[in-house]
Amino acid sequence: MDRRTFFRKGFGTSVVLGAALTGNYDKLFASAVKESGSPFDLVAVKGGDPAVMFQKGMDALGGIRAFVKKGQKVVVKPNIGWDVSPERAGNTNPKLVAEVVRQCHAAGAKEVYVLDHTCDNWQRSYKNSGIESAVKDAGGKIAPANTESYYHDVAIPQGKSLTTAKEHELILEADIFINVPVLKSHDSARLTIAMKNLMGNVWDRETWHRNDLHQCIADFASFRKPTLNIVDAYNVMKRNGPRGVSVEDVVVMKSLLISTDMVAIDSAAAKLFGINPSDVRYIQLAAAQNVGRMDLENLRIKRISV
Amino acid sequence: MVRWLKKIRVAVALVFFLSVSFLFLDFGSITPAGLHSVLASTQLVPALIRTLVVFGSASIGLVFILVLTLLFGRVYCSTICPLGVLQDIVIRIAKRINRRRRYKYKKPSYVIHYLLFVLMTGTAISGSLFLLNLFEPFSNYGRLLSNLVSPAVVLANNALGNIFGFFGLLIIYQIPILHINAASLIAPLAFLVLVGVLSYNSGRVFCNLLCPAGALLGIISRFSIFKIVIDENNCKECGLCERVCKARCIDSHTLEIDSAACVGCFNCIDGCPTGGMSFRGRRKQTARTLPVVHEGRRALLKSTMLPAVGLLLPMGDPGESADKNQKEYDESHRHPISPPGSISIEHFSEHCTACHLCISSCPTQVLSPSFLEYGIAGIFQPRMNFSASYCNFDCVICGSICPNGAILPLDSTVKKQVQIGKAHFVRDDCVVVTKKKDCGACSEHCPTKAVKMVPYEQRLVIPEVNDEVCVGCGACEHACPVQPRKAIYVRSNPVHGTAKKPKSEKIEPSFNSNQDFPF
Repeated sequence: MDRRTFFRKGFGTSVVLGAALTGNYDKLFASAVKESGSPFDLVAVKGGDPAVMFQKGMDALGGIRAFVKKGQKVVVKPNIGWDVSPERAGNTNPKLVAEVVRQCHAAGAKEVYVLDHTCDNWQRSYKNSGIESAVKDAGGKIAPANTESYYHDVAIPQGKSLTTAKEHELILEADIFINVPVLKSHDSARLTIAMKNLMGNVWDRETWHRNDLHQCIADFASFRKPTLNIVDAYNVMKRNGPRGVSVEDVVVMKSLLISTDMVAIDSAAAKLFGINPSDVRYIQLAAAQNVGRMDLENLRIKRISV
Repeated sequence: MVRWLKKIRVAVALVFFLSVSFLFLDFGSITPAGLHSVLASTQLVPALIRTLVVFGSASIGLVFILVLTLLFGRVYCSTICPLGVLQDIVIRIAKRINRRRRYKYKKPSYVIHYLLFVLMTGTAISGSLFLLNLFEPFSNYGRLLSNLVSPAVVLANNALGNIFGFFGLLIIYQIPILHINAASLIAPLAFLVLVGVLSYNSGRVFCNLLCPAGALLGIISRFSIFKIVIDENNCKECGLCERVCKARCIDSHTLEIDSAACVGCFNCIDGCPTGGMSFRGRRKQTARTLPVVHEGRRALLKSTMLPAVGLLLPMGDPGESADKNQKEYDESHRHPISPPGSISIEHFSEHCTACHLCISSCPTQVLSPSFLEYGIAGIFQPRMNFSASYCNFDCVICGSICPNGAILPLDSTVKKQVQIGKAHFVRDDCVVVTKKKDCGACSEHCPTKAVKMVPYEQRLVIPEVNDEVCVGCGACEHACPVQPRKAIYVRSNPVHGTAKKPKSEKIEPSFNSNQDFPF
């Protein structure tokens, strides 16, 4: 049995079904994190360099070692959707991605892969986003995600509109999945943050667009919880997203959010952006489907100024 | 005598053959910038056409080829022409298989060859490259590589990538093949079979019967300074030279060499056991002069051929449809979209020999071979295929590598305002209208926000097109999830226009790091 068959048959059915039977998706990937073990539900950092803010934020959560263990295989998923330069803020800040990779290695990760199913040409996007070289310098591995052959069927048991998807094999194989989106305006979804960023994990995005985009985003968010979500809000594209037209679409916010809860982190990021989270339909839907919590007032939030 | 002539010929041929081939197989884009144009400048027909458009490196290449031929005859055909070298490879294989294979002198069919050449030139001048493109050697070689060999190489790459990937090595990337269609496979295959069979059985017959470059260089090489001649003093009349001549231009009975048909391979000099052949300047020449072309015949052809061109204009089926949107869609899809830098469909169609170098080099694979989209006159010429992909906003590769000047080089900032078409939005077909759900894939991908989302009922948003800033890149059409007929598609600009620059104003941050967090 080759690896692909293994995934299609083995992973796609037994593991996911197994999880479905026990209702235990969260533990699939976030098994290293004890829900109650973390002192905060959300960490918000402002005023520093992306790498520094990430370090300070992780310190509050007990360091990266609380999440990444020795010998583990890590996939870091930034937003690399567009063939635009870093100052356009169409993609995650390369400095932040590099720091995440560096810390995972420092925690003893065996391999750290970085990938995204890009919208623009993948090689140009990887290169011109600055992420490819930043990741390589940090010792990480850049992985392609440009053909269907890398993707394997998964079932989304809690999905209402989206019940199946094809997800990248490296993400399926990974022990740790770290979601590193950039906060941006988004013409159709209103905002793209953590949950929307997972559209880059899958092959067929057209289906999502055809069948109630917001519901599909919420559905896929129910598939599994990333080990960590890190929202880059250093440079923020305020309009014309997700691709942006020029640097004039971008403002400096010098902020960063960290959480294991995608709904919470998306709600907080929406507020930073100046939008009420309940005006973003997928955030509401995901909260209703118990993917996470949008009641920020009841969450334990650590606020840090650098 | 001068046996090293053949060795030099083989060495030069390999250098050109391998480097030109690599251009078409370089899917990783590792060829240094500039090498494309240097190599393409050495190809006769592209260099000639490009010189008619712009004066530049191609013109130097053209002068080089002409001077080379005036000096040494048709050595171009045995060294620089990749199709010539490909035939030599077939001929070599044929010889390996049948060692007793020998050629016999055959008076070339000049009437057919020149008639065809005049037809090709005449139709090209009157605006259709159809006939020329069917036989132009560089472009045919290009189509072979980009449509047959390149996909095979990509498949091999992907298989290798799978094997490496199995062991967790990601050093070889999977590459999708997006630009292949039945016509783009069958036509080059048919050509390969034709040239393969001809050269396997009869040597360089394509070059002396069908090839336009061969015809032109043949005429020039009649006047070349250096020629291969038979030295009557040393010749023992064994006939070996005739038997090894794949151009079949040596008559060992009359000791004459037809310099118009000779492709300058030097096999005869290499093969002559008595040193009875030499490559000499004109003064020492002993061979007799050769037949002349009948000018009257040519003029007659020119006058009869022009009406025939009328038959080669674009054709298409308007298609019967009750649906107005379908009608508009069909109508608009009868007009292909030419790449940015090609000025207009007319300019493009009149200068493109369909070598498919742009198709091989296009990083997004949006450039695809056409079949009859441009009409028979523009058969095989590349078109923008937005169902395969879309044009990268910052990319200017096709213009920088086009050997013919059919696609002219564009500065990246200029290209961002070249409007090859305009997006057309069909509201009735849009997901937002049909399903009452948000979508916006078109607007997401738009690099200029010519497609913008505006409020619609029930807090939904729907696309709105501002075609003044639309460049026609096809990102919206490619991304649109509606099937089978896209709810937004690009309508061709037969003459490319200029899009306005998207407006932009400063914007205030909703949050800065001196404020308290809003949560």
